[in-house]
Amino acid sequence: MRKLLYLMAVMGVLVTAAPSSAFAKVNIFACEPEWAALAHEIGGDLVDVTSATNARQDVHHIRAKPSLLAAMRKADIVLCTGASLEIGWLPILLKKAGSPDVQPETMGWIMASDYVEKLEVMQKADRSMGHVHPEGNPHIQLDPANIQIVADVLADRLFMVDRDNAQNYSRNLNVFTKKWLAAMARWEGDKAVLRGEKVVVYHKSWAYLLKWLGMVDVASLEPKPGIPPTASHLEAVLVAIDGQDVRAIIMAPFENEDAAKWLSDKSGIPVVQLPFTVGGNDNADDLISVFDETLRLLKGAS
Amino acid sequence: MSNKLLLAASVAAIITASPAFAADDADLNALRNEIAAMKQAYESKIELLESKVQTLENRQDQTAGKVAAIQPSAGKAIPATSQKRINDNSFNPEVGVILQGKYQNFSEGESEIAGFAIGEEGERGKEGLALDETELNFSANVDDKFRGSATIALHEHEGETEVEVEEAYVETTALPYGLQAKAGRFFSELGYLNSHHGHADDFADRPLTNRVFLDNNYGDDGIQISAVLPTDMYSEIGGGIYRGDDFPGGEASGNDIGAWTAYGRIGGDIGDQTSWRLGLSTLQAEGVERAAAEDEVIFNGDSNLYIADARMVYAPTGNNAEQELIFQGEYFLRDEDGAYDDTGAGTGSVAYDDSQSGWYAQSVYKFLPQWRAGARYSQLYAGGVPAGLTGSALDDEGHDPWSASAMLDWTNSEFSRARLQYNREELAAGHEDNQFIVQYVMSLGAHGAHAY
Repeated sequence: MRKLLYLMAVMGVLVTAAPSSAFAKVNIFACEPEWAALAHEIGGDLVDVTSATNARQDVHHIRAKPSLLAAMRKADIVLCTGASLEIGWLPILLKKAGSPDVQPETMGWIMASDYVEKLEVMQKADRSMGHVHPEGNPHIQLDPANIQIVADVLADRLFMVDRDNAQNYSRNLNVFTKKWLAAMARWEGDKAVLRGEKVVVYHKSWAYLLKWLGMVDVASLEPKPGIPPTASHLEAVLVAIDGQDVRAIIMAPFENEDAAKWLSDKSGIPVVQLPFTVGGNDNADDLISVFDETLRLLKGAS
Repeated sequence: MSNKLLLAASVAAIITASPAFAADDADLNALRNEIAAMKQAYESKIELLESKVQTLENRQDQTAGKVAAIQPSAGKAIPATSQKRINDNSFNPEVGVILQGKYQNFSEGESEIAGFAIGEEGERGKEGLALDETELNFSANVDDKFRGSATIALHEHEGETEVEVEEAYVETTALPYGLQAKAGRFFSELGYLNSHHGHADDFADRPLTNRVFLDNNYGDDGIQISAVLPTDMYSEIGGGIYRGDDFPGGEASGNDIGAWTAYGRIGGDIGDQTSWRLGLSTLQAEGVERAAAEDEVIFNGDSNLYIADARMVYAPTGNNAEQELIFQGEYFLRDEDGAYDDTGAGTGSVAYDDSQSGWYAQSVYKFLPQWRAGARYSQLYAGGVPAGLTGSALDDEGHDPWSASAMLDWTNSEFSRARLQYNREELAAGHEDNQFIVQYVMSLGAHGAHAY
């Protein structure tokens, strides 16, 4: 009996002495697939990543569903876009299930758009303008320079949240940065032919991509951001693009094809569905292939 | 014996201390190498960062003219959040107004529900054109740990404009372990619909069950605590204690807790396309001179309500923006033990110990981004009537009240919605009612996110 007690005492000491952090992975709650992919790149095996959304979902319209509450409950880092993109659901999850360490302005809270130079910052916003984001266009992931900036921010936070593994995160960041800068150099060459080309977009979700490529959007299928296309607006777009040399009508995987197809039938301009984020098409399975695919599809269109 | 103790202690000491013992020369060398590798890694990181900064600078030089007009560059350095964020909560507090109006047409003049005495809020609305409840909401983060919200409702009742503090509460925003606490007056977590405001509903009126058992919403003064549990599948438990003033309680006095609630929920996903939630909850209230049916029916006693709720949301590819199908239902069972007095029928106080029940099921289908259609059925069962209450409001005369609804609504943006609804109901034997309702719900200003 006493032996058993001693054994238990020894085991008790062992269990309490075991550094629990060595086994526990850092849980990263990523709002969008691009940030989930980046978290995998920088965190490697040391992190568990939940992507709250997939490439076929419009992130503006997500429900604060039970599975997301369960994921938020365990999050050590919340990595989202910000700029009000997730305003309809992220605050509920944070309030209800988020730990004190992932609340706004804490170590575990990263809003990617806070760190990049945002486009379309509004001096004045009114709801009659549609679903606008006064703090700027939130779809920042389609400029590769922004991805690198967020990679650095994430690595810095991982250093602080999980100091024991700082060296591993540093190594992962190095590997990623080398890979990313090489890819960016390659894309510089690839994208040259697209400079100055015109496109019609579905929603204002391509501002960063178009700026990076030096392309121009001549019209949106949505009459106002967030308001679905209407027949009269499409007629107006058709008139507006008449005579212009438009390369493609571009849309994201979660957008309705009908309007784009109608315009394509009338104008002869091809519809190009770009991946938009990781998982947006079968080939776009990581961050690099998102841009590879985007360039391939845009160059293939005309 | 003491030897054994000594042995055990030393074993324990050796094992706990073993990492230190193990740090022999080989390990020290490994450590040195690691540090060297780390240093090298950092150096190469700095090198890369420098080249990256150069790349960025080159990029910015190219586009400098355009960029300058927009915002100063903030991308290179990585400080704590340096840019100003502008969103709803920079306005302190957020102010929101819900504007609602209705046109209702009923074919039946009577609206009593056989076997039930219902509260004021649960009554059917006014016929003709009428302003519905106008809600003013003020909310803001109090600081980094609390959030406050007040909802003042203005509505007309019998020619008078009534001002009601519908909700006024503070809640925690940053408690650990998935905990959240709320204090003040608020709509309790009970079943599915109770904690939601009517303007967020999928139909122009509440189902019969919520009208009868909760007077549309149970919102009382109290404290509620909830905990999201650290399980892979969503699970949450919670409960609250209340003053007991709101229906089905009534006229609480003294320092007793007049009512309490408890609930448990689970939920999750089925693939990418479907999410679900199941819940059980209870409200245990004490009615003290609880007046209903236009103050004619008085109840004294215990009123215990049990609710089971289910909700399932399906969207192709999980993209709720384009199409969505929602199923939702709740079952209510109410056990009352006390005495009823129908002053209108002159029954005097009659002992009552019986249970009443009811359910509703509804489905809403978003078939286009801006259009939704829905159907709903509600049914009530009044339970037995003591001899002394025969012919009173509690006598269902052998009829189980039911209501069937169909609706179509158009949502221009998340801030505006217009709805057409048709109800066919038979709330009392022989009183069939065909109802047409046209409704609008619009919101100005801050518009909080809606829960699942």
